[in-house]
Amino acid sequence: MANTLQLEVITPSKLFYRGEVELVIVRTTEGDEGFMANHSWGVKLLAAGELWFKEAETKKFRVASLAGGFIDVKENIIIFTDAAEWPEEIDVERAKEERRKAEEWLKFPSEDDIEIELARTAIRKSTVRMNVKEGGLKQRQ
Amino acid sequence: MAGNNMRDIKRRIKSNTSMEQITKAMKLVSAAKLRKAKSIFDRIQENFNYVSESIEEVFHNADGVPDEYLAGGREIKRTAYIIITSNRGLCGSFNSNVIKEAVTLMENDPGEPVIIAIGSKGRDYFAKRNYEICAEYMLPPEDISFLDVRNIITRPVVGMYNRGEIDRIILVSTRFISTLTQETETQTLLPLEVGEKNLGMPALPYSMEYGPSVEEVFNYLVPKYVEIRLYSAIVESATSEHAARRMAMESATDNANEMINELTMNYNRARQAAITREITEIVGGAEALA
Repeated sequence: MANTLQLEVITPSKLFYRGEVELVIVRTTEGDEGFMANHSWGVKLLAAGELWFKEAETKKFRVASLAGGFIDVKENIIIFTDAAEWPEEIDVERAKEERRKAEEWLKFPSEDDIEIELARTAIRKSTVRMNVKEGGLKQRQ
Repeated sequence: MAGNNMRDIKRRIKSNTSMEQITKAMKLVSAAKLRKAKSIFDRIQENFNYVSESIEEVFHNADGVPDEYLAGGREIKRTAYIIITSNRGLCGSFNSNVIKEAVTLMENDPGEPVIIAIGSKGRDYFAKRNYEICAEYMLPPEDISFLDVRNIITRPVVGMYNRGEIDRIILVSTRFISTLTQETETQTLLPLEVGEKNLGMPALPYSMEYGPSVEEVFNYLVPKYVEIRLYSAIVESATSEHAARRMAMESATDNANEMINELTMNYNRARQAAITREITEIVGGAEALA
């Protein structure tokens, strides 16, 4: 019986998820990182990426897309993100369209660093969303 | 003469009645909007309290908070005031309270203030008096999105702070206490006042890991914290606006009713006087003939 911890995923508009989990895997700015109960405490920044967690009750992995944010690891884990989506909520056509547009911008790079950064972020986010729709980049059981 | 007077009163009753109908309708609309705004506000409140608490906890417990974000880290020369008002009037003293508070603060501030106006009432007031307005947001506050807050307000403002163009950010808004009371509130968003918050915040029992580095975490968290505080203040202010308008419209309806009653009384009295006089005239005439 593995130890469990509470995971909360909060977005500006709602409480996205709250539940007991065994394992949480997120994409931090330094790469994928997994957290289980009794992890050392910390605050880490998240890149746009997949969120994986194994629910304590069903023992199944669930996946969602995150649009960057931060994770606060204490006895429980709080993830605050700008946007989060379940696979069934993702509109693939829109994600494709967004990526196409962002790639278009990058073809004619403007002087504005912020704009380039925005386009890069948009590409990353839409790629993540497409991957999540397919069930995630890596299959986890 | 009596006829004239009666017609006057009748006209006033009529206009008061239609006024009463309008204020009554507005009261009902505001009540509905208030309900909607309050449900959003409650939801956000719960989530954001959580997040800002966890951010605050980090602020006090980390040693590596860059000095520039802490009170006393630099001399305060220029202050930016974020002033949240509404776009529409007829909400009692809602806007004037906020503006009054802001003006008092600015008068006591030796530096030249910079204004970020949210809501057209505040913008108009300060624009007319030639204050420098560096950003404004004019859409209905209840429709504001988190992304708007970041792009229109926090990004430029925190940018100015980081470049040293402003040294302090103060938020003047309205707190929603209940549907009957709202209060003007001033809070300092930046720099963070650590001294005040250390009270009641126990030190964390374990040391924290920061990734990728303490500095990067803070460079991300500080604007985020400002965003969260600002966003919830805007939503709170929208809720208060509807509550204030509902109250204002309720008392307007009550006043109109009272006035209509009084006017009706006067009208009846005038009518009665006219009848009595006519009778006296007829009786007088009959007596003269007899």
